[in-house]
Amino acid sequence: MDYRLQLAKRMLFNKRGSLVGAVLAVTIGILVIHVNFVIFQGLFDAIVRDLTDYRFGNLQITDEEDYIDKSDQSLVNWFERIPYVEAATPRLSSTASINITKFGERIEETRVPIVGVDPLRDIRASTVHNTIAEGQFVYSRNSIVLGSNVAQDLGGAKVGDSVKLKIVDRYGQEQLKRFIVTGIAKSPGGQGFDYSVVVHIDTLRDLMDRDGYTGSIMVKLNDPTKATEVKDLFLRTFPNEDFIAETIEEAAEEQLAGFRSGIAMINMIGYFGMMSSAFAIVTIQMMLVNGKTKEIGIMRAIGAKRRDILIIFLFQGIIIGAIGATVGTAAGLGYTIYAKETKMSFNNSLPLEVSIQWDKVIQTALISFSLAIIASLYPSYRATKLLPVEAMRNV
Amino acid sequence: MSDKVLEMYNLNKVYGEGDTKVHALQDVSITVNKGEFLLIVGSSGSGKSTLLNMIGLLDRPTSGKILIDGTNTTTLNDGKISSFRNHKLGFIFQFFNLLADLTVLENVMLPRQIQGTNASASKDAKELLKIVGLEDQMYKQANKISGGQAQRAAIARGLVNHPTIVLADEPTGNLDSVSAQKIVQLMKSMAKKLGQTFIVVTHDRHQFGDVDRVITIKDGRAFEGQESTRLEAVA
Ligand SMILES: Nc1ncnc2c1ncn2[C@@H]1O[C@H](COP(=O)(O)OP(=O)(O)OP(=O)(O)O)[C@@H](O)[C@H]1O
Ligand SMILES: [Mg+2]
Repeated sequence: MDYRLQLAKRMLFNKRGSLVGAVLAVTIGILVIHVNFVIFQGLFDAIVRDLTDYRFGNLQITDEEDYIDKSDQSLVNWFERIPYVEAATPRLSSTASINITKFGERIEETRVPIVGVDPLRDIRASTVHNTIAEGQFVYSRNSIVLGSNVAQDLGGAKVGDSVKLKIVDRYGQEQLKRFIVTGIAKSPGGQGFDYSVVVHIDTLRDLMDRDGYTGSIMVKLNDPTKATEVKDLFLRTFPNEDFIAETIEEAAEEQLAGFRSGIAMINMIGYFGMMSSAFAIVTIQMMLVNGKTKEIGIMRAIGAKRRDILIIFLFQGIIIGAIGATVGTAAGLGYTIYAKETKMSFNNSLPLEVSIQWDKVIQTALISFSLAIIASLYPSYRATKLLPVEAMRNV
Repeated sequence: MSDKVLEMYNLNKVYGEGDTKVHALQDVSITVNKGEFLLIVGSSGSGKSTLLNMIGLLDRPTSGKILIDGTNTTTLNDGKISSFRNHKLGFIFQFFNLLADLTVLENVMLPRQIQGTNASASKDAKELLKIVGLEDQMYKQANKISGGQAQRAAIARGLVNHPTIVLADEPTGNLDSVSAQKIVQLMKSMAKKLGQTFIVVTHDRHQFGDVDRVITIKDGRAFEGQESTRLEAVA
């Protein structure tokens, strides 16, 4: 073994406290990045997941006009012939006023988002039916599912209650219809229909006087990475209609944009944390160098060049970086796996979508490894500036 | 090649500036021949260590010239000087001779490892350790042996690269009189056996008994011969 590496190792390992301190600094830097990633990327991915599952699908088809007038049946069938497609379902949206009379008192809520679903298809393309906390999903033309917040605003509406809906149709006429509440929807994290009501799509078409119209087609893929491919195929197949096809990222851009910059900022903070661990390494290594003044003097006296001294202390940086990166990455992965296994949730509700992104893991490890080496540059340089006469000085 | 291993001409060393200026060496010119055992004596603060540091190329003179083995060292850059120290000089200091992080053997091997000539380093180092009587101590951590043993290890380290000159600054200064005597005898016997040139700084002239030459430093000036003896008597 090169004597410089051996000396670097011995000097470092004989100063257990400094070694542990420096390694800990690197470890914590990495751990912060991993924890941030688990929580904030996990939150982001959880929201993307829920928006995909509840609202947009992996691919969403709309029309440049407000409504698709092509038969939803034929579009759904077209999609479901593609092997990557698991299921597709039509949706139609509007707003409604809704009122309930309880104990002789009438409570009205206006401008409630209303979604029309095709119950049989919807349960295959979306998991929103799983958010029914009480009762069951829409199953008949006069059943309605209330979002938990709507139900609350209506004075605590319950399954079995009767509510009256008022919708303005395409001709500006108010249409009224009475529904029976069959279910209350409540999603963890609130990305579901907590603030909406859900009815049968055909009922909504009737009320809006939009027979045969569809707001959007929600397409669920069994391989989400093929979203762009399916989208392109769709647009090529129907070039003359005014369809808009958007992947989830495109469709939910508005909801996600703010979040993205938030994550970027959190990551910045993480990298600042790494920087401060680099400063910790500078401090610790300066202490190591200062404690080895005599030794450096002796080495210089017996012929070690400045470069040899530099190499010894750079080796220490490499050792600190290597151990720190390994321990930090192990700790980070440990936390990630723990979060995944325990299905960690944010604010005790929204289950995080935890994933291990190996490129990010390796990148983080490499950055902190490099930072440790960069941090050791200055102390190493200072060590080379010590004079060989130092060895001669008495105590 | 001449027998002169060291030539110094008009060496001056000035520390500091202005009011704090110290003229530590003044016009010192000394020539040392191969195989000589030379003592440098003088009172505290007279400039002995300063002179040895100049010879050892650990510090640069303010003016003057130092030739070692015929090479003018005053014009060499830091890297060349390091290499020169490594190949031509051996050092024994008063304190802190050994690196505590290494074993005794590793310490003795170090000059050779710095040279990059590892091949017989371990063998040579072990042989020298045997000669200085540290055969059974060589795998110990360097900070786990006595002061006398450390000085003996330093002598072995000073010799391992077959230097032109071995320099020692108060090698016995930190030892009890029995250990000190052992070190003195060891250095003198090595000098004789190997024909090795030694330049030793001491404040205790008598500890060394008969030596080839004695140079006395007083106020930064070097005296030899009768003058030196007279100064010694005064001191
Ligand atoms: N780095 C320095 N800066 C300023 N002055 C110094 C320095 N080193 C030595 N001196 C001064 O130079 C003079 C000679 O010092 P030197 O150490 O050579 O003495 P010495 O003969 O070795 O003394 P001692 O027997 O106490 O070791 C002293 O006056 C000392 O104060
Ligand atoms: Mg001295």
